[in-house]
Order: sequence, then C-alpha cells, then structure tokens
Amino acid sequence: MFDFLRSFVAVLLLALGLAGIPVVAAADAVTDGLAGLADRSFSRKVEAVAQLGASGDQRAETILNALLDGRLYVRNADSAVVIGEERGKAFLVADPTAGAEAAEAAIADFTKITVNNRMRGAIRGALGALTLFSADAGTRAAAADAVFKTPTADMLPLLDKALARETDNGVKRRMERAWAAVAAVGAGETAERLAAIETLGSFADPDVRSLLGGLAVGNGEVAQAAGLTLRRIDESLVLWGAVGNVFQGVSLGSVLLLAAVGLAITFGVMGVINMAHGELVMLGAYTTFVVQEAFRAHLPGAFDMSLFVAVPAAFLVSGLVGIALERGVIRFLYGRPLETLLATWGISLILQQLVRSVFGPTNREVGSPSWMSGAYETASGLVLTYNRIAIIVFSLMVIGVIALILRKTSLGLSMRAVTQNRRMAGAMGIRTGRVDALTFGLGSGIAGVAGVALSQIDNVSPNLGQSYIIDSFMVVVFGGVGNLWGTLVGAFSLGIVNKFLEPYAGAVLGKIFVLIAIILFIQKRPRGLFAPKGRAVEA
Amino acid sequence: MRSAAGPIVTAVLGDATGRIVVGLLVAAAVAVPVLNLMVPAGSPLHVPPYVVALIGKYLTFALLALSVDLIWGFAGILSLGHGAFFALGGYAMGMHLMRQIGTRGVYGNAELPDFMVFLNWKELPWYWYGFDAFPFAALMVVLVPGVLALVFGWFAFRSRVTGVYLSIITQAMTFALMLAFFRNDMGFGGNNGLTDFKDILGFNLQAGGTRAVLFAASALAVAGAYALCRVIVASRLGRVLLAVRDAEGRVRFLGYRVEYYKLFVFVVSAMLAGIAGALYVPQVGIINPGEFAPANSIEIIIWVAVGGRGSLHGAILGAILVNFAKTYLTGAIPEIWLFALGGLFVAVTLFLPKGIVGTVPAFKFGGAGGGWRWRRLVPARGRSEERP
Amino acid sequence: MSELHASPQKRDTILYLDGVSVSFDGFKALNNLSFYVLAGELRAVIGPNGAGKTTMMDVVTGKTRPDEGQVVFNGGVDLTALDEARIANLGIGRKFQKPTVFDTQSVFDNLELALAGSRGVFQSLGFRLTPEQRLRIDEMLETVGLTERRAALAGDLSHGQKQWLEIGMLLMQDPHLLLVDEPAAGMTDAETEETAQLLKRIAGDRSVVVVEHDMEFVRALDARVTVLHEGSVLAEGSLATVQNDARVVEVYLGR
Repeated sequence: MFDFLRSFVAVLLLALGLAGIPVVAAADAVTDGLAGLADRSFSRKVEAVAQLGASGDQRAETILNALLDGRLYVRNADSAVVIGEERGKAFLVADPTAGAEAAEAAIADFTKITVNNRMRGAIRGALGALTLFSADAGTRAAAADAVFKTPTADMLPLLDKALARETDNGVKRRMERAWAAVAAVGAGETAERLAAIETLGSFADPDVRSLLGGLAVGNGEVAQAAGLTLRRIDESLVLWGAVGNVFQGVSLGSVLLLAAVGLAITFGVMGVINMAHGELVMLGAYTTFVVQEAFRAHLPGAFDMSLFVAVPAAFLVSGLVGIALERGVIRFLYGRPLETLLATWGISLILQQLVRSVFGPTNREVGSPSWMSGAYETASGLVLTYNRIAIIVFSLMVIGVIALILRKTSLGLSMRAVTQNRRMAGAMGIRTGRVDALTFGLGSGIAGVAGVALSQIDNVSPNLGQSYIIDSFMVVVFGGVGNLWGTLVGAFSLGIVNKFLEPYAGAVLGKIFVLIAIILFIQKRPRGLFAPKGRAVEA
Repeated sequence: MRSAAGPIVTAVLGDATGRIVVGLLVAAAVAVPVLNLMVPAGSPLHVPPYVVALIGKYLTFALLALSVDLIWGFAGILSLGHGAFFALGGYAMGMHLMRQIGTRGVYGNAELPDFMVFLNWKELPWYWYGFDAFPFAALMVVLVPGVLALVFGWFAFRSRVTGVYLSIITQAMTFALMLAFFRNDMGFGGNNGLTDFKDILGFNLQAGGTRAVLFAASALAVAGAYALCRVIVASRLGRVLLAVRDAEGRVRFLGYRVEYYKLFVFVVSAMLAGIAGALYVPQVGIINPGEFAPANSIEIIIWVAVGGRGSLHGAILGAILVNFAKTYLTGAIPEIWLFALGGLFVAVTLFLPKGIVGTVPAFKFGGAGGGWRWRRLVPARGRSEERP
Repeated sequence: MSELHASPQKRDTILYLDGVSVSFDGFKALNNLSFYVLAGELRAVIGPNGAGKTTMMDVVTGKTRPDEGQVVFNGGVDLTALDEARIANLGIGRKFQKPTVFDTQSVFDNLELALAGSRGVFQSLGFRLTPEQRLRIDEMLETVGLTERRAALAGDLSHGQKQWLEIGMLLMQDPHLLLVDEPAAGMTDAETEETAQLLKRIAGDRSVVVVEHDMEFVRALDARVTVLHEGSVLAEGSLATVQNDARVVEVYLGR
C-alpha cells in the first residue's frame, strides 16, 4: 500500500514535468512575458514585466517576486526561465509556469537574470496591480481599496479583468467601488462618468462621500450628479450611523445587563441592596486574571480556552463570597434595607482594599482569546468587533439560563415561594435560610460571570466595580424591581439611549442626561417600568 | 403673650445635653484661637496651627453630619448625595475666593481666574457674575444647595420616592454633578477645581489670625446649626417628621402633606450642608469635583451612624471621632484605613444600631430631669423581625 | 328607612360609591361596586378574604385610584381626584387593619399630632397647644382609657391599647366619616364588647363604616350589614337577614 502510494506520487511528479524540463504551455501573457525576461535588453525586460503585470495571472506574481529577489534564472541550454534556489550546496530549480515541486540541477547550467533600478520600479508597479489577483481575498480587497484611494485611469482594464474573475462577493463589491471611482474621476465620456457616479451612490461610506465631495465642486453635469449622489449617501450614512449606534448601544446594554442582572436577583427578588455587588463583579474579573495566569504558566497552547474555565471559576468565587456575605452579615439585617445598604458598602470597601493589597493598585493585563479578536466590517464602514458581539451573545445566554433557573428548577420554585410569602414557605418545609443563601449566591455568582465579560473590554483594577454599580442600580430601578424582563429592557434601552446621546452631547454629558432622565423617570414611575401592582407592593 | 425667644431658648438649652453641646462649642470657639495665638509656641498649652486647621475641618464635617442627621435621623430620608450640597456650598465660596485673587494669579488677569485664561476664555461666564461680592457669594452658599434640594425634593417627595429608591437617586444626583464638574467647559476649573486662594474679606488666608477666626466661625456655625436643629426637632414639625419616619402612611391619613414636611427639612438640611462646605473650602484651600464622589456622601452616613442616628450631638461626636481616626490611620498605616472604614460600616449596623450615644451611658447626657423629652427622640426602631 | 336605602339620593349620603372597579394585574379587586352610607349611620362590612374590603377603603381614602366609577363624599365631593391628605382634611378618618401608631412618640403626642386643625408646615414650626386643646386631648385619653399611660411610648402599648389609641387619634381628627378596619383584632372579649359600644356611641354624630371578621363583634354593633364578595355587594340588610341569605351562606358563612 505504502509502496504503491510512493510510486504513484513519483509518476505524478514525472507527469507534471517537474524533473527540470520546462513545459511550454499555450502562448499566453505569462509565457510570453517569461520569455521576454530571458532577453538581454533591459527595455525588452521592462516590457515583459509590464506584460506579466497586466496578465492578472497569479503565476506572474510569483515570477515577479522571484525576479525582484534575484531568484530567477535562465537555462543556458534552451533560454527557459526558471526559479532557482540555492539550498546549501544543492541548487533547486522549478518551472514558474507550472509552479510546483523543484528539482535539483547544476548551478553552472543557469544564468541569473539581472535587474536594474528602472526594472525594480516596473516590477513593484506590476506587483501592485497583480495583488488584485492574489490568491488571498484579503489582499485582493486591500488592493482594490488602494486603487480606490488613488484612482488612475490606466487601472481600468486591469480592474475589468479582475472583476471578471472575482468570485468572492465581498471583494467584488470593493472592486466595483474602485472601478466606479476610477471611471468617475477619469477622463472618459460624461455619460460614462455619470453612470460611475450612480454606481458610487450605492456605496454609502465615508470614503465615497469624500470622493464625491471632491467631484461635486464646480458646475457641470458631473458635479451636479455628484452633489445629488452625495446627498443620497448622506441620508444613507445617517441610517448606517444609527445602525452603528444601535450596535454600540446594544453592546453597552449587554454589559449593563450582565452587571445588573445579579443585582436584579439580590435586590429584586430578595429586596437586599447590595452595594458590594460591583466588587463581586471585580472579583470575577480578577478570577479571570488568575485563571489566565495559570494557563499561561501551565497550558500556554490552550490559552484560547481559558475563558471557558474562567466563567465557572468566577461564578464559584463570587458566589461563595456572596454566600459568606449573606450568612455573615446580610441575614441579620433583613427588613432593614438602609442598614443593609450601609453594611454592604462597608464590605465593598474591604473587598476593594483586599484586592488592592493582594494584586496591587494598578491595572492587570487580561488577554482576549484569538477567536474574540478582530472585527466584522460591512461595506459601509460599520465595524462590529467580535468581543462585543461575543459579550452580547453571552449576556443573552446568561439571562436565558437565569430565567430557566427561576422558572424550571426547584431552587427557582423555592426562591419564588420565599419571595412571595416567607412565613408560608417556611411552614411548608422550605428551608428559607438556605434558599436565601443560595439565591444570594446565585446573584453574586452571576456578578462574577459579568466580571469575566468585563475583563475583556475594561481595565481590571480594584475600582472596576465602582464604575458599574451606579449604572447597574439605575438599570434595575428603571426596569422595575423583581422583574428579569424589566432588567433586560432597562439595560438595553439605557445602553442605546446613552449611545445615541453621545454624538450630540459627548460621553460625559450624555451620561448626565441619562442620569437626570432616570431621576425624572423614577418620579413618574417610582416602581420602574414594569412595576408590580397591587397589595403585595405595600406589604 | 410670651416672646418667641422663650420657647426657643428652652428648646435649645432646656436640658443638660443642649447646655453641654452649646457650651463646649462656644468654649472651643474662644479657647482654641486664644491658645493658638496668645500662648507662646513653647508652652504646653499652645495649640499649633495645624491642629487648629484640623479641628476646624472636623467642625465643618460635624456641621455636615448634623445636616444629614436632621433628615435621616428625624425624617427617615437617607440621602446618599449630601456631599453634593456640601460641595456646591464649597464651590460658591471657592468662586468668591477665586475672584478675590485678582491680578495676583499666575497670568495676572484681573477679570478671569487662571484656569479660564489657560483655557483661552475671553470673558467671565455669566454664572460667575456677582461672586466678587462677599454678601452675594454668602447668599449663594445657601441658595444654590437650597434650590437644588427644593427642585430635587419637590419631584422626589411629591412622587413618593422613598427608602432605598430615594437613596439611590440621590446618589445618582451627586454622581451626575461630579461628572459635570469634571468637565473643563463647565467653567469650574475641571479636574483641578478651584484653588490657590489668597485672602478672604481682605485677610490673608495663610495668616494665623484669619485661620483662628475661620475656626471660631466654624465652631459657632456648628453651635448655631445645632440650635436650629433642636428647635425644629422639638417643635410639632419635628414630631410630624418623626411620625413620617415611623409610619408615613398614617401621617398622610391624618391629613398632613408629608411631601411638604420632607421638602422643608430637606432644604434646610441642604443649606446647612452648603454652609459647611463654604467653611471647609477656605480652611483646606481647595475645592474639586472629588467632593461630589458618591463615596464621600456615604462616608457622611457612617459618621452619623457611629455617633448615633437621631441624636444631634451624636452626629457631631461621630463626625469628629471618625475623622480623627481617619487622620490618624491614614497617617500611620495607610492601607488599613479602608479596612477600618469598611469594618466600621459593618460593625455599626450589626452591633451598634444606636451608635455611641445610644449605647455608651457616658454620652447619654442629661439625667431624668430635663432630658426626658430628648432621649425618647433617639429611635428605638429597626428591630423588626418581619422581612419585606 | 329601608325604602330610603332602596332608592338612594346622592345628596342624602355621606359616602356614595357607584360602579367602582379596580384591578391589579388583571385581578379585579373591586368589580362594579355600588355602595352608600347615610349620614350618621353605623355600617358593618363583612366578606371573605379578597372580597375587596380593604381595597374599598383604599379607594375612599385616596390611596388607590379606581379604574372607573364614582366616589362621592358628603353628597357632592368627588374623592377620586383628591389625595390622602385632602381627603383626611375633608373629614374622613381611617384606622388600619394593623394598628398603626407612632411608636417612638408618647401616647399624648400621638393624639396631639392627630388633633384637628392646621396642617401647614410653618404653622407646625411655631405650634403651641392651647389649654382648650390640652383639655380635649385629656378627654380623649379618658375616652379611650389611656389616661394612665399618657406619657408611655406608643410602641410600648399592648395590641389592644394600640387599637384604642388609633381610634382615639381618628376621633381627634373630628371626622364626619370613620373607616375602621378590623378594630377588634387581637382584643379580649371584654375589650371587643367595649370597642363595639364605643363605635356605637360615636355613630350618630358621625358615620362609621366597620370592616370586621368577628361575627360576635358585628352582632354587638347591631348595625346594617353589607356583604362583599369578589369586589361587589352580595347582600345587604340586618345581620339576621344576610345570615339567612342563601348566597351569603354559600360564599361566606357556610364555610
């Protein structure tokens, strides 16, 4: 079996003519150009380089790169051009047109093709155009964008060719944009230019906008058309800007949601004002740091997986601290919300100082796994970073899990029973103390999980929690106490409103407006958006 | 018809507590400046200037604590934003002191404070007008916090925002103000706030005499505020407030407009806090947006809680004790201060719900005589076994 | 008398509810409730838990706004537009189910706070008791049997004493209409009987509506009885009449 495979490969290699014999393919631009390179005259060689560049062929790129690096040789015997490479004492040659395995040859049989400065310039230019034909879609897109940025009329035929071959829709769109830019700027027929401007109009992005801005100056049909299109683009940009704001808002909202949902449980379900909630979030972020340090030290290869360990670890750490808090302090203060508020504030100070003493007062570096870095970018310039998307998805998952726990598990049932009628629940054999501790542990654990997410987008410092606590309270109060749905709506609406205000008022002033708006809102609906009604409220 | 002064004197000095508190404060107002200025530095009786400054600062905090105790201890309004009123009073005074600098600033601009010159501002913003006159600034010290309290309270109390909800929105209020004052274009010096003051009413702020007078003013302000609070608390209005604290609904059904009562005491309290801030600023020489930080406001609560919520002299005592501990600990072992403060919050709420005054017999001034009416004002509430 | 009840004239009533509905999250606490009380009348309202008794009081005293319906006081004042304080000052007093007094103040001060008169903030700052008012409070202490305990903190009173103090506070308000929610709860038999006698004495000058569970107490009141069920009136008449009503027996007494 193995022998068969080996001989099969050998036959294949022979068949592909890789034993050093050049294959003369059908006379096309690449072979022509390649032949031209064998000529002694530099002018002929420059022509050949241009020919290769215009071929739009991928092989041309390899050849030109080799030429630039001084790896292109001519076989003395038959003037065939090959790519040669000295490897130790051996000399390997390969046919660039077939572009495959190299075979060993004697270096004495070959002459290196020399390059002068004029040629180098030509090669670089040709290569620039050729990247439009690169195998890598990203490179092609970048090349198209480069053409778009400095549109010159002679790129048109090349773009035509590139467009004809392009298979990736995204890249194709970028090339069309570049084509339209070249045509619109170019010296062609007015009708052609108008059509190009029309095409540009379908690309509502800031770059096209500034290009058209340049064209719209002055009089004439072209300028007029550019002005019209510009206005259309502006309208569409406003729309995309709004979409971008919504995304930013949803992203901020998901962060608020994560920070607030644990609070919604402890405050909403148990009526406990936990001012140390932010510090439980902070503990979650530091747990992430510790877990990542462990991964860096012992399992560097699995670093991308570290967050999957950090989430349960943070849940446990913050959850246990929360249970200790409930058993040690809060349970003695039930029914005295203001005292609870003060005691938990004290605990938040202690936790902050504790973390500061152990980890130091400065920010700690928490890494992002590779699958969370990068961004999805739309043609209109909207950038959706993966870590933000991940946090949005994650926050919704967390809410879903909590809803399931509250609705479907026996802990959830006990929790709801204790919330509604503590004495009756106790009489029915529910251990209310244990339910309190577990509920508080759940809320605290979720705070820890929020800390894992926050560690991905914010500085991990002892003050991390402080910056979220007021916003979180606002979300819970706004959404209505004791209502997960309210927390969800509250978090997202606050996030979105915040981001929509920002462009007009600036980040700080926007936040102030939101705070004032909430203060006014509470006046109107003291119990929040989704307030429970009826007698139970007054009890 | 009896004169109005009679009942007021009775309300303030009618029992041992009132006499001791007012007596101590007046004595301090006289003795400390004398021991500072008249007694030579070598003498064991000499009070060094830094102690004058320190105790002067504590006294402004005591005034602030009184203002919080008036609403929290006697009307059940837990404001987590009282630092805002303190800071606003402080800024009003700071603006006056800035205007007093005149051409002595770094840029020597007679019209504009240094930071405005630095920001390339051409003219004084309208809201700085008038602050060059001391009477106007003094009016603003009480008016700005008072008006903010009036507007905020009117909205909050009318819509019956109570308990922790009120606490949280007061915290949001001070947080919003902090963010606003951090902005340079607000025209209050941004991050750095207002500082580099030179003199007050023509007297050099660095001079021992000026500092002694500021000290005396602070001590007398505390005594005055204490007297005012005593009068309010001892009146029927005070009893309505206590009733509101204990059973708000019942008070409504008796026909009282609870929101107006709360509003009145909230505004008075904010004004007292503003005065405290105005006395604080010339003594420490700076006011910056950090004073608006929510953490500062919560710290005031612990002063009151340590001293004894619902006891006016307890608030004064608590403010001085806690701040003395803070000065000592942050100087001796800085890391431990937050642990100590945090521990204090927990310990006081768990083990000392009535504070020092309600727990340590030595501080229950006044015997069975004149003190009876006073002692029962200390809350006996908060032992409820029932949960929400 | 009963003919008059059958065709109520709004102007003859002290309290007139017509078609009042209140719902909480879909639950109809009051369902098209129509109910009226004549001036000087003593009325007992009974009904099983959740019949809407407390909600009815909430609506009358301004704590809860009705979704629909008319609530008229003294033949012409629309109560639905007013808040608690205004309604209280019109002369409607309310005693809560759970005795609610000001625990940290003395019995005397509790009564003083309830004393009819000015409710203004600034007046209260300079308020001083006149000898006449002091006398009134002393009389009230006598009436509710708390003279001995006048200086005690209200929080230190027994449950029954708190109930009486609260009734005393109500009377200090000098109301035209008293709404009394389960005054006999937690009282001894003797106290219950005394309370009934007190309420009967009060009625006549004023109108009194008593919500009660205790049938002995209702019997002692010897008043017209209204039975509420699921937010509306099920039956009305003397205790004997309603006790013999088949529907009442089914929903309430029969259980």
